[in-house]
Amino acid sequence: MNQFFLYLDGRTWLHRLDPRTKFLSLLGLFLIALLFSDPRYLGIATMVVLALTASAGALANLRKMSLLLVLLFVYCIAIWPFFVTGRTAFVSLGTYMLTTEAVEYGFAMGLRLDLILLCGILLLSTTTIEEFTLALQRLGLPAPMGFALSLAFRWVPSLISSAGRIVQAQRSRGLDLAGGSLFTRVRRYVPLIVPLISHTLRQTRLLAMALESKGFGPEVRRHGYLELRLRFPDYAALAVMVTVVGLSVWVRVAGHGVVEVVF
Amino acid sequence: MAQIAAVYAAILIPFKMGIPLVPGYAELRPANAFPIVASLLFGPVAAWGSGFGNLIGDCFGTLSPGSVFGFLGNFCYGYLPYLLWGRLGPLSSGREPELRSWRQAVEFVVICFAASLACALVIGFGVDLLGLIPFWILTPAILFNNLVMAILLAPPLLLFLHPRVKRWGLRYEDIRSSMRQEARGEGREDEDPLTPGLAPLATPRQAITRQHAGTAEPFLAARSVSFTYAGSANPALNGLTFTVNRGESVAVMGRSGAGKSTLCYALNGLIPHHIAGHLSGKLTVDGHETTSRPVWQQAGSVGLVFQDFEAQLVSTNLEMELAFPLEHLSSLGDQLTPAEMRERIHRTLTLVGLSGLERRDPLSLSGGQRQRLVIATTLIREPALLALDEPMTDLDPHGRRSLASLLATLKAAGHTLVTAEHDPEEAASADRLCVLEHGRVAWEGAPRALFSQPDLAEQFGLHSLPLARCFAGLGLTDLPLTVEEGWQLAVEHGLVVSAAEAGQPAREFPSGRPAIIEVQRVSFEYQRGTPALSDVELTIGDGEFVAIIGQNGSGKSTLAGLLNGLHMPTRGRVLVRGQDTKKLGAGQLATTVGYVFQNPDHQIFAETVEKEVSFGVQNLGLPPEECEKRVAAALDAVGLGGQEVPHQDPFSLPKGDRQRVAVASVLATRPRILIFDEPTTGLDATETQRMMRMLHRLNQEGHTIIMITHALSLVAAYAQRCVVMREGQIVADGPTRTVFRTMADPEQSAALGLEVPPITRFAARWGQILLTVEEVGAALRRK
Repeated sequence: MNQFFLYLDGRTWLHRLDPRTKFLSLLGLFLIALLFSDPRYLGIATMVVLALTASAGALANLRKMSLLLVLLFVYCIAIWPFFVTGRTAFVSLGTYMLTTEAVEYGFAMGLRLDLILLCGILLLSTTTIEEFTLALQRLGLPAPMGFALSLAFRWVPSLISSAGRIVQAQRSRGLDLAGGSLFTRVRRYVPLIVPLISHTLRQTRLLAMALESKGFGPEVRRHGYLELRLRFPDYAALAVMVTVVGLSVWVRVAGHGVVEVVF
Repeated sequence: MAQIAAVYAAILIPFKMGIPLVPGYAELRPANAFPIVASLLFGPVAAWGSGFGNLIGDCFGTLSPGSVFGFLGNFCYGYLPYLLWGRLGPLSSGREPELRSWRQAVEFVVICFAASLACALVIGFGVDLLGLIPFWILTPAILFNNLVMAILLAPPLLLFLHPRVKRWGLRYEDIRSSMRQEARGEGREDEDPLTPGLAPLATPRQAITRQHAGTAEPFLAARSVSFTYAGSANPALNGLTFTVNRGESVAVMGRSGAGKSTLCYALNGLIPHHIAGHLSGKLTVDGHETTSRPVWQQAGSVGLVFQDFEAQLVSTNLEMELAFPLEHLSSLGDQLTPAEMRERIHRTLTLVGLSGLERRDPLSLSGGQRQRLVIATTLIREPALLALDEPMTDLDPHGRRSLASLLATLKAAGHTLVTAEHDPEEAASADRLCVLEHGRVAWEGAPRALFSQPDLAEQFGLHSLPLARCFAGLGLTDLPLTVEEGWQLAVEHGLVVSAAEAGQPAREFPSGRPAIIEVQRVSFEYQRGTPALSDVELTIGDGEFVAIIGQNGSGKSTLAGLLNGLHMPTRGRVLVRGQDTKKLGAGQLATTVGYVFQNPDHQIFAETVEKEVSFGVQNLGLPPEECEKRVAAALDAVGLGGQEVPHQDPFSLPKGDRQRVAVASVLATRPRILIFDEPTTGLDATETQRMMRMLHRLNQEGHTIIMITHALSLVAAYAQRCVVMREGQIVADGPTRTVFRTMADPEQSAALGLEVPPITRFAARWGQILLTVEEVGAALRRK
């Protein structure tokens, strides 16, 4: 499909699940990621999500996002140890002591961030924007907002391509984007942003007219084409999710799966 | 509501896109200035917009529980400026959110600080709470970048946008008051004495009686319809009266600004419901007055196809795109079950020739396919009337052919069609032609009747049919419209195209002039493994006029982009005046190679024509007197000089003039080489001719001209040399006449993927390769 979107068209069992199931499962996975701060627990969860991603045929998206995932991981390992401490010394430099717990915690936070992003990528790889916004609407998002959301999604690629053309047009007129102080650099964006915004506003007016010409009106209740139905696999998946989340909470309440650190 | 939704969408997107200003510090993006500007213009809409914009940005790969705080933080960032402006007590300037005085500036800075701080605190706190990133890392970063962008970049944007958004009636107050008006019912129509205040939702019985009454009337009837756009002095429609019968196909022609688009917009009530202005007269379609119902209720009877297909597609696959209109059937009795919808979607896709592509992304389709999809989205509601506003404009010859055959199918199936059209060959296939001039019907009748009087067509500012023009001097009563008719007529009257080719000017470029551009074994890839150009070899001499032709996607624009440094070759090298483009920067190249892009709106940003044109010159760092001199000369060269135009707002000019402003802004840098990408798209006959004459003159003055185009008749008339591209390679290159000889050969033509213009095809029967109307006219003799 489109190079900007993560969605990969397919017919795997994850594609066929009801988007509501997938969305609720995503929330469950987020909760699990936030519950634990032990790298081993988070590592297991990451493995499971990676296996799911493979079964959805979405590993290509991981490759696409790999730089971000690695960077955030490294960043967390480097940053967090400065914000927490534990009891066991790992390295000490004069008065400053880097503790084993702090290192473990940094490692865990890196895993947590990546795990969370992986879950999101998995959802977006297997769910079209229409399904995604419809699920949000069924879960309580007001219809106009859902519609605006899906519309905006749709516009990203065409706006990015207009932006590309604008950059080319201005560069051809000698606009040099590199170099200069921060102030001059910022001012140089005016010739890029003004055409982009006026183009967008013009397109907006057109879009509004086109939508209304197609029958989209204030009093029309949308009569859905996509049918959402919870089937056996959905109930099964939800049951598994509820069990896993329940178990995780129980394990966590029992005091497992955390690294003892002081902030 | 549609308008509000669209405004949301408009604001959301630019927000998250944008290039980091300082590499490595990704959050410092210019787009972060926009929520402030949007908030002051669009109010709470901007808050939702920036919140959603952030969320959408996350949906491209960084969706996490932190997105919730991202949403909230950006919501604050987009809401606070609107809330605070004018409510800061002594700090408030008490004026509109513009930056014309220092008090407004102070108010602006305070507001920026408050909004940036709120945004940073919410996100920083939230993300720390989730244990993702420490508070003291993220919060200062967000505060800093929002503040820098808001204070440095937002003011010029606000200064520029405020007056325009106000003029377009898109400010929050404007939209809210128009919504209130809508909610109050037909208040607006009641003010207009010419339109009876009908209830917006006609009861079935009313509808039936009206339809019944309508059978005596023509299907579409306009009775002295006039419309003046708000803020304009001249009427766009001025006492327009015309009718269309059921099942008829009518082509509407006329100069740019003659009222073609205005008429299309009036047919389904967009005028006056959506587009502000003053309307009088009476326009009925299928027994309903177009002013009597809101636009969305007319979707079932009038399908409107806009010129720009990009803005009309809203879904991520074809199936959902077609489901959209079905999901919004207004009357309760019409609603379809999903199974019925699926059946109708399938039927419509088959009709427009797109079946089997249900799961494809509309943006991945070719231009012709996209335009057919747009038509399908209106057809699916089974409207009685289909109105198309210059549907061929952005299509290549391939796309045009496929669309023309679809329109022929629809006509055969009994659809009523009203098509605004520039191209005489397309218009000739309509049942009836209607020529507009100054907003009223200047001529009406069968296409044949108009096109067999080439002088009359040209008098209305239309292109005449070239073949008819060739025969015009021979004193025949009936002039041919198609090549086949021409041949037949030639046989009947004993006409031949004599061996005049030898006597025609060769128009070849004298060889031996120094090469100004050398493309040496160049390959180029946008993405690894998929070459856009492979092993291209091309030398262009100083002062040549070269046309690059080929189907969409054949690599024409890529090749042109390599010549002025927009792209750098993956393999091989490009020399401009003997220097490698890799060594010259884009800035330095711009002074040698000027590039005029297809859409002038992608570069126009200044408040006046003069400032717009001086942008490129100022980038060169020349002294001000020299700048002024060059700007004046460039404006004169494109015919926009004088006292008035240079001080006008470039956005308010018609398309042809905006195109010329774009040319002037490139000319002012005095480049030796000029590249034009589709310079005549969307221009009418007069504007096209003016543009081409200008290119010719620039060439005579010594500029090397490289023109990318689909309009082969212009290539035939103006270019000395013709380069044909196909699938990333040059498949033919030589003097225009030689290349056209190759194209006229049916077998080779298929290999090149292009067809010669009708007059060349006509003359080719006698073994002559002729390029212009004048050449054929002179060679056509009685035996």
